[in-house]
Amino acid sequence: MSIVLVGVNHKTAPVEVRELLAFSDEACADGLRRLVDGEVVREGLIVSTCNRVEILSSTTAEQLQNGTERITQFLDSGQSLPPGFLGQHIYSHTDDEAVRHLFRVASSLDSMVVGEPQVLGQVRRAYSLAVEAGTAGRVLNRLVHHTFRVAKRVRSETGIAANAVSISYMAVELGKKIFDSLKGHSVLLIGAGEMAELSAKHLLSAGASRVRIVNRTPEAAQKLANEFNGEAVPFDQLEASLAEADVVICSTSSSEFVITEEMTRKAREKRRNRPMCMIDISVPRNIDPNAGKVPNVFVFDIDDLESVITSNIREREREAERAELIVQSEVMQFQQSLRLMDMGPTIGALRQRFQEIARTELERQRKHLGTLTLEQETALEQLLMSTVNKISHPVLNQMRRFYEASDTETMQEIAESFGLDEKD
Amino acid sequence: MKSLLLAVLAAYLIAAIHSILAFVNKRRSVQRVAEWSMAAGFVLHTAALLADWVIDGHYPLFFLRETLSFLAWALVAAYALILYRYRAQALGVLAMPLISALTFTAMLTTTGPQDAPAGFSTTWLFPIHTTLLIFAYAAFFIVFMSSVLYLLQERELKLKTFGAIFHRLPSLTTVNQLATHSAVLGLTLLTLGIATGMLWSAARDGRIWHNDPKEIFAVLTWLLYFLLLLYRSSASWRGKNAAWLGVAGFALVLCTFFGTRLLGGYHVFG
Repeated sequence: MSIVLVGVNHKTAPVEVRELLAFSDEACADGLRRLVDGEVVREGLIVSTCNRVEILSSTTAEQLQNGTERITQFLDSGQSLPPGFLGQHIYSHTDDEAVRHLFRVASSLDSMVVGEPQVLGQVRRAYSLAVEAGTAGRVLNRLVHHTFRVAKRVRSETGIAANAVSISYMAVELGKKIFDSLKGHSVLLIGAGEMAELSAKHLLSAGASRVRIVNRTPEAAQKLANEFNGEAVPFDQLEASLAEADVVICSTSSSEFVITEEMTRKAREKRRNRPMCMIDISVPRNIDPNAGKVPNVFVFDIDDLESVITSNIREREREAERAELIVQSEVMQFQQSLRLMDMGPTIGALRQRFQEIARTELERQRKHLGTLTLEQETALEQLLMSTVNKISHPVLNQMRRFYEASDTETMQEIAESFGLDEKD
Repeated sequence: MKSLLLAVLAAYLIAAIHSILAFVNKRRSVQRVAEWSMAAGFVLHTAALLADWVIDGHYPLFFLRETLSFLAWALVAAYALILYRYRAQALGVLAMPLISALTFTAMLTTTGPQDAPAGFSTTWLFPIHTTLLIFAYAAFFIVFMSSVLYLLQERELKLKTFGAIFHRLPSLTTVNQLATHSAVLGLTLLTLGIATGMLWSAARDGRIWHNDPKEIFAVLTWLLYFLLLLYRSSASWRGKNAAWLGVAGFALVLCTFFGTRLLGGYHVFG
């Protein structure tokens, strides 16, 4: 059994090429049915996201070359692309490399932003489409389930997704570094922009207790307040609300400072020195940078958020190195299990053969034993079966060992010496 | 006894190294090694102290060697409690090497004349006095270390450098609470320690105060942490200033602990 993966991703192809190749959900099922013929391409699955289009399939070792070509042609077909155009963008992996690639994709090691969680969901979706289309069989089922396990392991054993990398999440990240938990802390939004809204959403789901919104147009403030079950505050009460807020997010289009150093000092006094986190995502800045000099007040502007993100990405990449090791060892484990799966039928057939012999012999001699109680009957059967199993156990084990050492020939020889043909 | 303490030291050193490695690499498995070897060290250390008690026939908190060992033991207990309550593993980077150093110094220190404690161990008040004070010292060590962590993290947030420290140190609130709670605990223990010392001294020679340097330093320490807590609760000195006071106050604690040894006086012992 061989595994082939052919595709393009954000590293090998620009968006103009990726969008040409992308599959919608319907096209996916349709395409899979066309591609999978049970002969050259045995099973198939299409992962189509904005960053990648990849086709995963299983074939036999002999058909590996043909299969790869088939899939490449399949990707190329229907787009009427100039011949050889795709060649420069496409990559194809087989066996270990294909497995490794899929593990890396699902663990988000191959993503634009390492550790982003969406890609696993996209692989999951691709799998369920393949199941619906009936093109996921023995090998892909096993591979995909193993992939989910690897992704989960990577997520839980490394800090690959531990640090946020989006601006809107930075308020939560920085808030946690100051307050530990955002539970019970209040949020003040100044300006009702989209980014402020998104940040507030994250803060609330991280446990922030209530949101107040100050905006120059009260309607917009009221609208946001309704959405968050918060409170709209008139603009002239900004100073008073400032003193009551633990986290402030400022995003107005004002061309001058909305929060001055003086206001911050006053707020600090009223707060009796409790720490305060102020985030300014507006350009030009709305919070006087000097406000950051006030003790126990921490002010971050958009550049600061960017540099946290850069630093978080660095942390993630450090973690990714460990994730690669996990992937490496899982690829080996998967290969092992795939080989055992291949061998399963031979061993199963041999065991069945032994048991059949025992049963036939029992039937032949049964009439000499007279009437037996049900217990005696079962005991007799058990006796026979456990004898057969105990005798055959070392043989089957030996075969398994040959198999694990990739010595399939010797394994087949043993099977044949017990009268088992290869076709069994 | 030396060999048992050597095993204790080995366990603490392993814990210290793994605490630092876990801090650098953020590995839970490494942190677990640190915690288990610390636990093993603690059990051995408890055994060593008990053995000391039985063999030497006096409560193992009299000579400098015993005092240092006991202090290390109390610090391990305190750090274990902090791990459980605050999950502030980063503290281990400071605490475990310090604990190892204390244990090591205890091993190097030679015991003075063996017969000294005769007059002291007769009353139960004396061991209580010393034990309370050892735990008070441990609490002040924790105030010091968490204040250092606070200052480092605060600096990181103010300067917006967002380096390794930002990612690895606990939040400001966590270390601030840790410092405050330890200071409350330390001050309570110090108060009780001084009180029992006075009672013991009154029973011994009818005086509660000897004007001895250790006593004076202890009272100064008491005043300092009292002020620290007063400022913290009045909120005007919350945060950075309180953390600086926590660091500076520790110098006074060290004076109380070691300094008086050099100055002599009534408290000639550990």
